[in-house]
Amino acid sequence: MKKFLLFVGVAAATFMVESASAQVQVGKGQLSGSLESNNILYVTDEATASVDDWQDPRLRNFGSHDYLKLDYTLDRFSAGIQIDGYLPALYGYDVYRFNRNEMEDPKGKRLFGGFLTKYIQWEDTNYGIRVGDIYDQFGNGLIFRAYEERALGFNNSVAGARVHYNLKNYFNIKVLAGSPRLYDERAGNWVWGGDLSLSISDMAGWNDGMVSLEGSYVGRYQKDAQLVTLPAYGLSLADKGLDSDLLNMVSGRFNFEYAGFTLRSEYAAKLNNDIFPGSDAAKGNAIYLDLGYSYKRFSATATFRRQVNMNTMTKLDGKCFDEPPIIHTINYLPMLTRQYTYSLANLNPYTGVKNDREAGGQIDLYYSLRNPKNRAKYWNFHLNASLFYQLKDELHPEAHLRWFDINADVDRQWSRKLKTTFLYSRQQYDSNYLGWGPNGEKETIYCVSDIFVADLTYKFNKKHSLRVELQYLWDATNLYYPFKDDETAQSTFEMSMSDKEAKLFEQGKIDEATMIRKGKNRAYDNDGDWVAATIEYNFAPMFSFYVSDMWNITKSLGYYSVDGGNQGKLLHYYQVGASFTYDRYRVQLSYGRNRAGTVCSGGVCRYQPAYTGANLSFTASF
Amino acid sequence: MKKMLFLMLALFVGVSASAQTLPDVKVENQDGKVISTKSLADGTPMIISFWSTTCKPCIMELNAINDSLYDWLEEVDMKVVAVSVDDARTVSRARAMAQGQGWDDFECIYDKNQDFKRAMNVSLTPHVFIVDGKGNIVYSHSGYTPGSEQELFEKIKKLR
Repeated sequence: MKKFLLFVGVAAATFMVESASAQVQVGKGQLSGSLESNNILYVTDEATASVDDWQDPRLRNFGSHDYLKLDYTLDRFSAGIQIDGYLPALYGYDVYRFNRNEMEDPKGKRLFGGFLTKYIQWEDTNYGIRVGDIYDQFGNGLIFRAYEERALGFNNSVAGARVHYNLKNYFNIKVLAGSPRLYDERAGNWVWGGDLSLSISDMAGWNDGMVSLEGSYVGRYQKDAQLVTLPAYGLSLADKGLDSDLLNMVSGRFNFEYAGFTLRSEYAAKLNNDIFPGSDAAKGNAIYLDLGYSYKRFSATATFRRQVNMNTMTKLDGKCFDEPPIIHTINYLPMLTRQYTYSLANLNPYTGVKNDREAGGQIDLYYSLRNPKNRAKYWNFHLNASLFYQLKDELHPEAHLRWFDINADVDRQWSRKLKTTFLYSRQQYDSNYLGWGPNGEKETIYCVSDIFVADLTYKFNKKHSLRVELQYLWDATNLYYPFKDDETAQSTFEMSMSDKEAKLFEQGKIDEATMIRKGKNRAYDNDGDWVAATIEYNFAPMFSFYVSDMWNITKSLGYYSVDGGNQGKLLHYYQVGASFTYDRYRVQLSYGRNRAGTVCSGGVCRYQPAYTGANLSFTASF
Repeated sequence: MKKMLFLMLALFVGVSASAQTLPDVKVENQDGKVISTKSLADGTPMIISFWSTTCKPCIMELNAINDSLYDWLEEVDMKVVAVSVDDARTVSRARAMAQGQGWDDFECIYDKNQDFKRAMNVSLTPHVFIVDGKGNIVYSHSGYTPGSEQELFEKIKKLR
């Protein structure tokens, strides 16, 4: 706490000094910077008291993630630093799990930490050099991406050097080497690579379209990686099939654009065996295809990806291979499904397959219908669908559907004052995979949700506006269907019924029996029907206030057979909040109850345990 | 860490006010060609707005600017640069969306590895900047409340 206060104090003082001037000149160059501070005060609430054993009640009441970034630029030269502070780490972030060790560190001192990243750089017209922390990506990131995602607490910047050179637009070459960041440590091993892109169209002087050929190589070297013995494995990694301390990966890309058509394609492969938590070492490969077409205000894209053992761990030892593993990679294979902006549509997002053998794709269609005389009136239509399969392996004899969703949304701006958005989404996913099937691991139940959202914004005048959001999730899962052809499964299933449920089932009142069944499902009340509502009042440009609530109505209708814990209780996940924005400063304060669930950002997800508390976030820049 | 912070404070002493300028970072344009952000400063004042496909207020703000743009253009010469910070996963969706939302009057650029975002010190989206024709940043604002686009227009009018 002391460290935190010092940090905030110094940072605030810094920004006080700055706010007088807003932009800063130092010598001939200029200084710019930003501060972001996210704080949570956890409040004791029986309803959200978590069962996760890594949640230590003694350390429960406060967490803070802070980022202070400063950059100095003088013409082509620039230099900068960023300090990340975990004061202490917030629950649910991997940096918390990474640093938490109840046996060795009962007081959680290691949860307080910081990390400094820094760089100096020279960027000329056709070449550039950077020494220090490097953020970069090759192609679509299939073999390499160094990036920061604060919402996930993720950062794998590579500390080392990078040089790039380009000859006009004809070709561009880039080489880099360094050691990646692993939470608040350096991984200590090495990553190096190079990327070359050739613009065929520029070389041929073809200006109507674009054709390019690109290729990359990435190596990850960890001294004595084959000798590493992980507690969870009991054997050395060499015994698990790791054939080299150096992992070599290559990728090739072909991109094409002409008259509204685009094609982006990439093939990537691991040339050595590589190990991922929970599986044996093996080679890997991935194909990525992205097709697009646009004409006036219509556009369509389709993406396909197939990957086998392609996720590449930053380092092959230590806590990342614990159970459950803490996934930290040097490449980027995110979920390609739509990331919704409405809470109920995001209740059970797709989180990928366990064995890193996945194939699937998604499509998007957009169309805008506009009144040529009045720009304030328009319709925007959007249709999206995605389908993802788990590919077969020893455990899964056949390819298996993990996720399907289809969704459509319509934006209608009626006038300058009124705007409405309607969203419908159908999501179907394999419940056993998500780990909460009511009948163990044997049967596959596809959970089906239909989600309806209405979102309305009304502007009273130039400053005052009101936004109302209503959501409904209908759990359309048929819990009885899968067993009708399987007598054993059916009898096991019938035995699991309560008296009341069995009676209704016999009478053919399947709907009512289903309600009881849904009520009995274990885990974090994913099941049953949900409703949610938000009311937001804005006073532009400075203030915004909101109140929201969401709850499971299957439970509230009393169809719950209570078998302990919070499962039988009706829980309101309420939130109240306000934000204040002035110039480059923004403060947001909220209080509420947060459901356990998956939080995704950029297609990468983390598990967030339930909590009740107050959030205070602050951002500033100059 | 403490020393670091005090060092930084010391650094801040003796600074004087002046305009910050657009950094020189490589981004992609709507056609997928690599351009330098320095080239955005072409003499016309501009609104630079950082957005992503998963940021709802960003899209609301850009739509609101789009609605009013013709009215504004009657009074001032200006342009709008929409910077998508979508990564490799959603960048094609961002391109499709820019087209499908009818943002044809915007200059859309794509900052796939967030180099421009980092260089402009953007922490949260939406984040808008007002930049004069020479590339000097004169104003910035984060977050969006319906109606706050009016403030951007007022600021850009003052640039004349």
